[in-house]
Amino acid sequence: MDTQDNDAVRPSTALTVQDAIAAAQTQTAPSEAVAPQPAAPAQPKPTAPKTIGRTIVITSGKGGVGKTTTTANLGTGLAEAGKQVVVVDADVGLRNLDVVLGLENRVHKHLLDVIEQTSTLDEALVRDRVRRSLYLLPAAQNREKDDVPTDAMAALVQSLAERFDYVLIDSPAGIEKGFRNAVIGAKEAIVVTTPEVSAVRDADRIIGLLPPGVEAKLIVNRVRPALVKKGTMMSVTDVVDILRLELIGVVPDEKEIIIATNRGTPVIDIDGSQTGAAFRRIVKRLLGEQIPIPSFQAPEGFVSRLKASLRLGRS
Amino acid sequence: MPGTVYVVTSGKGGVGKTTTTANLGGAFAKLGHKVALVDADIGLRNLDLVLGLEKRIVYDLVDLVEGRCQPRQALIKDRRFDDLYLLPASQVKDKEAVTEDQMRIAMRKLAVDFDVVLVDCPAGIEHGFRNAIAGADQALVVTTPEVSAIRDADRILGMLGRRRARLIVNRVRPEMVRSGDMLSIEDVKEILGREIVGVVPDDEEIIDTTNRGEPVVLDGARRLGRIYNAIARRLLGEDVPFTNLADDGLFTRLRRLVIGS
Repeated sequence: MDTQDNDAVRPSTALTVQDAIAAAQTQTAPSEAVAPQPAAPAQPKPTAPKTIGRTIVITSGKGGVGKTTTTANLGTGLAEAGKQVVVVDADVGLRNLDVVLGLENRVHKHLLDVIEQTSTLDEALVRDRVRRSLYLLPAAQNREKDDVPTDAMAALVQSLAERFDYVLIDSPAGIEKGFRNAVIGAKEAIVVTTPEVSAVRDADRIIGLLPPGVEAKLIVNRVRPALVKKGTMMSVTDVVDILRLELIGVVPDEKEIIIATNRGTPVIDIDGSQTGAAFRRIVKRLLGEQIPIPSFQAPEGFVSRLKASLRLGRS
Repeated sequence: MPGTVYVVTSGKGGVGKTTTTANLGGAFAKLGHKVALVDADIGLRNLDLVLGLEKRIVYDLVDLVEGRCQPRQALIKDRRFDDLYLLPASQVKDKEAVTEDQMRIAMRKLAVDFDVVLVDCPAGIEHGFRNAIAGADQALVVTTPEVSAIRDADRILGMLGRRRARLIVNRVRPEMVRSGDMLSIEDVKEILGREIVGVVPDDEEIIDTTNRGEPVVLDGARRLGRIYNAIARRLLGEDVPFTNLADDGLFTRLRRLVIGS
């Protein structure tokens, strides 16, 4: 626990859940006390008032497709672009975002402590040592997802949006309470999938479970161009065609990602990594830049099979 | 004597539970056992796709526990094997549609008719996980040599109660272990403190066979087919050496680790 770092984020008064719930309910402009202006100038935000940050849930349905890695890398990239960023680990009981960011030894308090008011938000936030505008709100490891009241989670995300330019929420796998809590406060969603039939089918299922009004975009992760060319992997075009979401990024598969995760260094910071470069492009797209996305071809076959299975699943 | 019910679980998603369930089931069936595979991932089923049986689903696990059908109506026979059946999950219901007691009863009934029942557990530690482990006698914990997967495996090992739990280390890349970029099997065993019953290398074939719905174990000549066959035999009590990765340099390590100890 690094109190010095936490002191550094204490321009605001201690934030309680009552404050947060009240703020969420009244929908009024945030007071100076709970919403200090971030150091960096706020980027124009198309769908929200100037002082409210973007709230984006990173979700997938299927586990192990790269939600946590995506959250860590986009959070890092946005912070390096000068934004005030908080990444929220919503995987209560199976947290990993702290490990991927290399912050696990500094986790002291967590999201549930804040919701249950045994800790203030400032006590729970862990500030990254390198990217000073990046903060982690860790998940509790010894608690259950059912312990988090959905209303309180929505209010917490809302209060974070008043303080930060970007609130990125790392969703757990599945479609149970943990998923519902992760998506409840978000205005936007990034759906992460891989070009595999099971991942695409699960993505299709959760897209249908996102709350109405959530704007969803797609990242196709772990693409292996060699396999696509060989015809043993679906192409990005196939995936987009099936899921019908706006594509915000394509991330190639690389062993660097395993190394980066094991070391707790986001791959976005590794020079020469294709994966890192792909995440840097996604960050720029999130910031509004127009950057073309590469695409690969694959034959039909399993694509038609998957489409048929989705029709069966919906019937 | 009733068969053994194994839950195939991991904590973390995407480490290979469903692939392991499908291939291990195929391996048991090829060894002459009567096998039922149960997809406990209600709402996010995938075992049917991995087995290529998705078009043949009529009834599912929820129908069965609610008494809307008989076991033989819900169980889909995989015609490529002598005695391999799939009990699919419902895609439209959610995990609360089934209780732990219902699962316990359903698995006990299956164990009367089958030698081996493999329950494919959903990711996470919520209701779906508790349902999947409820009726299981033993657990197979699938992990990969990555810090996040191992941390999650450690967490769920503590939630399995008194069930015997053994490890399958999946997606091992020997060249990365050698270069120090990946945890070794030794490391995994030391951290998790459980018996390792299988080591499966990372292999592009899995992506291909999953996308086509043809379990890799169908072809016994393939390296992965041999590896799943060896895991099944170890679970049946045979002493099968870990010889498959010998050319990768892992063999000496594994020998010291598993056979030598």
